[in-house]
Formats: sequence, structure tokens, C-alpha cells
Amino acid sequence: MDPLCLMVTDPINTEAVMRRITGDGDGAVAVFAGRVRNHHQQRPVDHLEYHAYPEMAVEELRRIADELGQRHETSALALVHRTGELAVGEISVLVVAAAAHRRPALACCAEAIEIIKRRLPVWKKEFFTDGGEPQWIYGPDEDCAGGGASGGSSTDA
Amino acid sequence: MKIRVLYFARVAEIAACPGEDIQVADGARAGDVLAEVARRYPEMARPDFKPLLAVNRQHADPGLTLADGDEVAVFPPVSGG
Repeated sequence: MDPLCLMVTDPINTEAVMRRITGDGDGAVAVFAGRVRNHHQQRPVDHLEYHAYPEMAVEELRRIADELGQRHETSALALVHRTGELAVGEISVLVVAAAAHRRPALACCAEAIEIIKRRLPVWKKEFFTDGGEPQWIYGPDEDCAGGGASGGSSTDA
Repeated sequence: MKIRVLYFARVAEIAACPGEDIQVADGARAGDVLAEVARRYPEMARPDFKPLLAVNRQHADPGLTLADGDEVAVFPPVSGG
């Protein structure tokens, strides 16, 4: 089936996305959900604002999905990113990869989130509960180890 | 040539607008648009500010040659997820 590529403003419903794209032949479904974390570099995060170049973002999600479809033996793929104001604990990005077997599903899911973070034209701005100035995050955090001045952010994605 | 320039995130805050039309010479490249934007908004010319480009909704290098009517987006390194 065609990949499901969405930029949304409403909360992401993981179960609904899984139901929508999976079939009886899928013995494996790998899911990655990036959530808003309540802290960043010892500062308490209140919420995030996600801004996007929406027209390009949808096209970029489709390009990413097409590339992944050529590299992985998956039967279905969903790439969903939310924009707007998100509270701590809310899902900002969802990847669902389905396949007959686990390895392609897991590999596709892992690669998808890495590519999304490098290429999707989305930017987040962090707002803190300590009254400090909000700050833009520049560039993807490389992983949970955080990074330099622009690295790390208050999501696990 | 007329180029539609779009700004996003911190770049849009600095420009205080979502975008504008600018004139460039025939044969101009995406990087020429970036230079013009930096001339208009000096904060974007700071060495620690490294905006990226997209042309017609695809990531682009500064060396890409533009055509009349192209849409060029200028934005900070992405931070989705």
C-alpha cells in the first residue's frame, strides 16, 4: 500500500495509525513515537512549539517513504509529524513500519526517524517553566547523548 | 528574475515576515538569494548563523541555478522529531 505521510495539528493517535496501515500479513509492526520531554539541559520544559514548511514537509515525507520502501522489505509505512503547541508527554512524531517479519520492520523504523530528523523542514521552540526566554533548537540532536550548542532537545525523537 | 523567498522559524522572526519577492540577475544561484537576504537582514550574516536553502520545496545547495519564478526557502537547520 502507499505510505501514509501526514503533517497534522491534532494529537497523534498511534493505535489508529497502526490499524489504518497494517494487514493480516504483517507479523511485525515497529513503532517509534517521539514525545515532548519535561526537561532540557537541566531546565524544566513547559511546552514546545513546532513550526513547519508544510508544503515541503509533506513532499519530503513522501520522498523519505519512497526511499525507505526501496531499501526495506516492508509492507506498510506511516510517517506522521505534528505541528503547533505540544504539551509535555504529547507525541510529536510517529513512525510505524509493518512487515511480515521483524527485521525489516525494525530497520525501517529506525532509519525513518533518523532521516526525518535530518531532513524534515520542521523546527521546534522550547518554552520553559522557569520564566526564561524561549529558545529555538537548531539542528537534530544526534541521539540521547545530546550534543553541542545546537544539539539535544526536549524530545527523545 | 523574480524569486519568491520564504522564511521559516528564527529566520522568519529576524525578517519579521513570512516571505517576500526579490529580484536577482539571470543565471543567479540559490546562494545569491542567501547573500541578498543576509544583506537585508545583517543578523543572518553572522558567522554562527548558518541558514539552509530549499528550492521549489526540495533541499538545495547554494550552487543550484535558479529560474524565474522559483520559490526559495531560507531556514535554520531543521529540528523536528
